[in-house]
Amino acid sequence: MHRNGYPPIGDYAVVGDGRTAALIASDGAVDWLCLPDVDSPSVFAAVLDAERGGAFSLRPSDPFDAERRYIPGTNVLETTFRTAGGTVRLTDAMTLSPRGRLAPMRELVRKLECLDGVVEIEWSIEPRFDYARRIGWTSTRDGRVFFTDGPDALTLSIWGAEPTASGRLRLAAAEEALFSLAATHNRPAVIPGRADTEERLAHTTSFWRGWAADAQWEGPWRDAVLRSILALKLLVFAPSGAIVAAPTSSLPESIGGARNWDYRYSWLRDATFTLNALLALGYFDAAHAFFWWFMHASRLTQPRLGVLYRVNGSSRIPERELDHLSGYRRSKPVRTGNEAAKQVQLDLYGSVLDSIWLHADSHGDLGADTGKATAKIADYVSREWPRPDSGIWEVRSEPRHFVQSKAMCWAALDRACRLAERGLIPDRRQTWRPGANAIQAWIEQHGWDEELGAYIRAPEDRELDASLLTLPLIEYDAGRDRLSSTIDAIRERLGAGGPLLYRYLGEDGVPGDEGAFTTCSFWLVDALARVGRVDEAAALMDDLVPLANDVGLFAEELDPSSGEHLGNFPQGLVHLALINAAVSIRDAEERR
Amino acid sequence: MSLAGALAGGFVGTLVLTTGLRLAQVAGLTRMDIPLLLGTAFTEDIRRAEAIGYAVHFFNGLLFSFGYWLVFEAVGQGGWLFGTFLGLVHAVFAGGALVNVLLPAVHPRMGTPSSDAQEAPVLEAPGFMLFNYGRYTAIVTVVAHLAYGAIVGAFAAGL
Repeated sequence: MHRNGYPPIGDYAVVGDGRTAALIASDGAVDWLCLPDVDSPSVFAAVLDAERGGAFSLRPSDPFDAERRYIPGTNVLETTFRTAGGTVRLTDAMTLSPRGRLAPMRELVRKLECLDGVVEIEWSIEPRFDYARRIGWTSTRDGRVFFTDGPDALTLSIWGAEPTASGRLRLAAAEEALFSLAATHNRPAVIPGRADTEERLAHTTSFWRGWAADAQWEGPWRDAVLRSILALKLLVFAPSGAIVAAPTSSLPESIGGARNWDYRYSWLRDATFTLNALLALGYFDAAHAFFWWFMHASRLTQPRLGVLYRVNGSSRIPERELDHLSGYRRSKPVRTGNEAAKQVQLDLYGSVLDSIWLHADSHGDLGADTGKATAKIADYVSREWPRPDSGIWEVRSEPRHFVQSKAMCWAALDRACRLAERGLIPDRRQTWRPGANAIQAWIEQHGWDEELGAYIRAPEDRELDASLLTLPLIEYDAGRDRLSSTIDAIRERLGAGGPLLYRYLGEDGVPGDEGAFTTCSFWLVDALARVGRVDEAAALMDDLVPLANDVGLFAEELDPSSGEHLGNFPQGLVHLALINAAVSIRDAEERR
Repeated sequence: MSLAGALAGGFVGTLVLTTGLRLAQVAGLTRMDIPLLLGTAFTEDIRRAEAIGYAVHFFNGLLFSFGYWLVFEAVGQGGWLFGTFLGLVHAVFAGGALVNVLLPAVHPRMGTPSSDAQEAPVLEAPGFMLFNYGRYTAIVTVVAHLAYGAIVGAFAAGL
């Protein structure tokens, strides 16, 4: 529910169609939607500026309570409003269309059904194009409301009320109304009819049910795992196979703070977590599509890899501040683009090589060209690992010798050796294995602090870093029982209360505080399971899963004091970490 | 006037016209998509419609160049300047009657003021001088057709 213009971040749910996604608050307001693609400019951005961002609200006129859920096994949202006069159900979806049928380029469908009594509904649609820089033109023709701005056009169709940009309607028991907001870009609009809109909504529900039913998961936390994979599917950009970190920009990591980033891009770092999760649940096609996407996207820069890419494969992502938007609860600046694209981050090489290994292991083949490219990437890591970098957290202070980055370089060379051993890439193990050994020796000598009893963030600042929980995940183990000790130290010193963890406490070149980093808590579960502390892992998982919002989604961070979700929403990395943690516990229990 | 020249001009002119309109589309000046409009008359599969539409558009380009040649022969005059004038007439006809009146009348999937939207999804009708597809659509269309006419006229007259 909106209060002072903004609902809590955790009050949102998301619907999408594999190209873009909309945030919908529990009071029925669509506060975020970019068109035509997830990284295009917004048409609704009230979440970043309640006054001028633009929104599509649809709710009872009288005071109401709202309860919502996703229709089980789908990304179709169902919100039930209860007023003193009656009950009405709102079904929201971005529709998918049966192949070969004429359909809108993008379409948000909102269906109202009165379950009992009489309910008056009010709606208002105020699109604001290009991140609310322009209002556009509004006109009515052919019984529809058109909102146009240059190459973009929205068509609002309403069945059950007069087609106007705002208005009221009254529904009695068993009566229905249907709203379709169809979008086009660079093309004539396709104006939907009622029957085919209903058909697309039914098809969409049916598609999601079928897709979720393919998940090969009979383990614990089934609902959370399924919701996570469904949320992840919404982050997959279907035309290319890229997976964005989140469908939003600039939702703050602390209210009123400056840690507001644009996550509508695909980070190569997430590759290993993504392939692990998709393969574990049996989504081989999606896993291999993502693999080929990032190998293709990075083709021009290989063996050097970019930190992040646009969903169309471009690596040009200049960071800009949108001064005309006031930000979520005055959290400025609002940014588009991401300066991290220019950083050196060595950890991503471990993620990419591990992904190549996972792909080859499940697929059985790599292809000669990809094999050669992989070997060149491994050669690059052999040369570059001694460099300082900006690390997994993309710090904006001076580059450092992050221990986690070194460990990921070790993983890169280790996986290259495995691939060479299988004959899948040119064999240069005589270089790579000594390189991996040298990195391990460096980590054990410079990356360990006897006093803390833990691996440390960097030799330059001897403090803890929750990213080191990924060491067991990449199977780094120097055989000295240092992993378990590091886990305990991180839990003790970076603990934010309950199952929550801060990612680090040191400086990172950005002013202000932030919440607990939810992914790190799931990495903690994963790490515990992998070092054999399965009961602890399962107990922690039981504590973490209920921290999701009412529809099972996580933002990037959680406020340790209030439990409020912070940061971009929903965040893919958290849901990937949740799935992988559940898989690790299941695997560990099977080994017991 | 050379018929072969006019047809060759029709081919080159259609290439230029189609590319110009596409560039204008990408530049955000118009939402008009002629291959889509033409192709969806034959299929509702948008991917196939684009391919069919390009073929139909090229055929139409050649057909119109034949018409240009007939006019050149009838008045005993050709060349790029007269071709440009015919291009202007062509553009006004295309925007005013062909796409706005004739196409919706025969197109099975294009909306008209009497469309019943209960039945099937329909393509947005272009409106007079294609104004529904964006403010600059008329200008873009006229410029593209002027280029087409100039090329056909020049080719027919042997450059």
